[in-house]
Amino acid sequence: MESFIKQGSDPKEHVTREPQTGHAAAQNNHARQAMLRSIREHLEASAPFDKVHAEGHAPQNSVRASGQITRTAVEAPAELFRQALEAVNGKCTIVTNETEAATSLRQAIELYQLKRIAVSDSPTIRHLLQQAGGNVTILEDAEAKTLFDCDAGVTGAQWGIAETGTLVLESKDERHRLVSLVPPVHIGIIPAGQIRRTMAEVLEAVSREGDLSRALTFITGPSRTSDIELTLAIGVHGPGKLHVIVIQEVEPTV
Amino acid sequence: MNPELPEPAKAYGPAEVFDQNARRALVDPQLRSALRHLAVTFGQKRAQAISSVDDWEGLRERARAIKDQTLAQLDKYLEQFADNAARAGAQIHWAHDGHDVCRLIVQLLQERGATRVVKSKSMATEEIHLNAALEAAGIDTVETDLGEWIIQLARETPSHIVVPAIHKSKRQIAELFVAKLGIAPTDDVDKLTGAARRVLRQRFAEADAGISGVNFGVAETGSVLILENEGNIRLTTSLPKIHIALMGIEKVIPRLADLDVFLKLLPRSGTGQRLTAYQSVITGTRKSAADEGPEEVHIILMDNGRSRMLRNPVTRQSLACIRCGACLNACPVYQQIGGHAYGSVYPGPIGAVITPQLIGIGKASQLPYASSLCGACREVCPVKIDIPELLLHLRAQIAEGTALGQGQVEVPVKRKPLESFVFRLYAWAWSRPTLYEWGGRVLRLLQRPAVRDGRIGKIGGVMGKLMPPLGAWTAWRDARPLAPRSFRELWREGKVPPVSQPADSPRIATR
Repeated sequence: MESFIKQGSDPKEHVTREPQTGHAAAQNNHARQAMLRSIREHLEASAPFDKVHAEGHAPQNSVRASGQITRTAVEAPAELFRQALEAVNGKCTIVTNETEAATSLRQAIELYQLKRIAVSDSPTIRHLLQQAGGNVTILEDAEAKTLFDCDAGVTGAQWGIAETGTLVLESKDERHRLVSLVPPVHIGIIPAGQIRRTMAEVLEAVSREGDLSRALTFITGPSRTSDIELTLAIGVHGPGKLHVIVIQEVEPTV
Repeated sequence: MNPELPEPAKAYGPAEVFDQNARRALVDPQLRSALRHLAVTFGQKRAQAISSVDDWEGLRERARAIKDQTLAQLDKYLEQFADNAARAGAQIHWAHDGHDVCRLIVQLLQERGATRVVKSKSMATEEIHLNAALEAAGIDTVETDLGEWIIQLARETPSHIVVPAIHKSKRQIAELFVAKLGIAPTDDVDKLTGAARRVLRQRFAEADAGISGVNFGVAETGSVLILENEGNIRLTTSLPKIHIALMGIEKVIPRLADLDVFLKLLPRSGTGQRLTAYQSVITGTRKSAADEGPEEVHIILMDNGRSRMLRNPVTRQSLACIRCGACLNACPVYQQIGGHAYGSVYPGPIGAVITPQLIGIGKASQLPYASSLCGACREVCPVKIDIPELLLHLRAQIAEGTALGQGQVEVPVKRKPLESFVFRLYAWAWSRPTLYEWGGRVLRLLQRPAVRDGRIGKIGGVMGKLMPPLGAWTAWRDARPLAPRSFRELWREGKVPPVSQPADSPRIATR
């Protein structure tokens, strides 16, 4: 279970950056001070108005809990997740174990007629993909350029949100930022135990350890646009197909 | 790119000529039909989406309280944001105005030899005309949001905050694609979208740098959050080696947990979705060469007139705006004339209050009047901005000639001393019972020649010129004349039936 979601990247050497030096840094610091000064001056000048304005605009009940979603969760989180995802044109299969997950993956490969599949660096996901078999080329550690020629990307996900059918990807645990984005099909695999009910729970979970991922990505359904006459078109820049496999029981990784 | 093409927002002039723009928009049947479709579609989707939240009002109040608290200590939160983002590896730049931002970005790109840039939709970059600055510096910039790309190809400006090409029909877009991309004529939206995908994929693969906006900056973590549906923002912020994010200073919120509130409000209000397809929370830059993502992340904090709006709690409300566009969709004025007529990147009710504050009230003095004050914008605003109050505040500044322009210098505003005098006189006279009564009698006499069949029709000629507001009002609609006998007169003569006798006045009784 732990190995499924936690694969911290090895602490390699830091990327070399060019921080601002000399004149530019001094100029930037000057701009910072000037802006903060302007903010403080204007806030200070407004103080006398604040009281008068507040009297007419006191929030009636500012301590009320922030909007709970009405629908009560009678179903299991995995089932809620599936319903919410399918409502936004995603596909979702709930399976009981990893063997079934591999079978489901195989079906997806056939359904979307996949030939070249990129995979994230998660050993569990790689293992599942190998188990799935099929006449496919699997690309591990593919360069960004190569991803443009792949039919699909297969990744894990660190969290799910049942209410909205959302996958949550944490970059510190898996290299899946581009694999989940560039190919036209994204297959995401998540253990049911990682599905939380609400966004609030997930926001709390990802910041619990204090070290936020460099990229935290929330994915709810396939890429979409309504920019032409408000007509829905699926798959404009991101994957046009999103297929999520939820595994009820996750066995220890081989 | 193609100098032979017309300039952006071709048919429309700047905010100064709003009245002419509006007249032009009213006779464009294609635009009117697109706007009707927008109002109905987004209106229904929004209503449906907010019904899934049981305490929508509480959520709005919570959001507004977060914004108010942050703005009241903006210096503190902004510093916290900047320091945490820098600690995570982002480079922070402070920019006083749009000119500074353009200079900074051009310099950043040139120093790194970046010549090909992909951009994701950002109202802040529109506000400062970044594309023009990049173009002038010879940097090849492509908008990647489908709507923004369409209007970039057409050399126009956005007409809506969320759906920038809403003014264009499918047919116009197809013709544009046939001419610019050489595709076969089609009226299939999927085919048009597919063509955009093919062309823009190439641009993503080649790009040296990506430029994005920011929806929220989280002070406690130094993270930026960007919402989208298409995936172009994820590509812009993760493929190129350099990511530059432009963030207005009002975008900061204190805690990561606050995102929950705004992620419930923004998609529902903007597009009627429970959640947009993607949210990217980016915290600094990659830790090691083995990590994915850009080598450099630059965050530019832009003031551009925002700190000045903090000065008064009425104007400060404008800074709570999360750019959802709900007030545009709900506004009966926007629904008739669309975005270009406002002559500004920010159209609709929120544009009518922000634009005069950004560019100076002297250059946009008609915009605060581009509203019937019906209050629909206030009803739908997810952060409860009292837009009618703001509009009245700006109108008062114009009438009193107390408006401040950019950089706090008094700008020449076309003052309205007559309007000011008339309203003072009105207030003085109408608070004195005797004058009120005699005033009414005089007005009843004066209106007599104008009343036809119980109503006042078009007041033209000398009268219309003498009383311009009356002339303008009656140019398109009838006015109700004063009743022959006033209520007070009827009351004194005992002709007013008591409320306790409902027989004669059933409508009153049922209330």
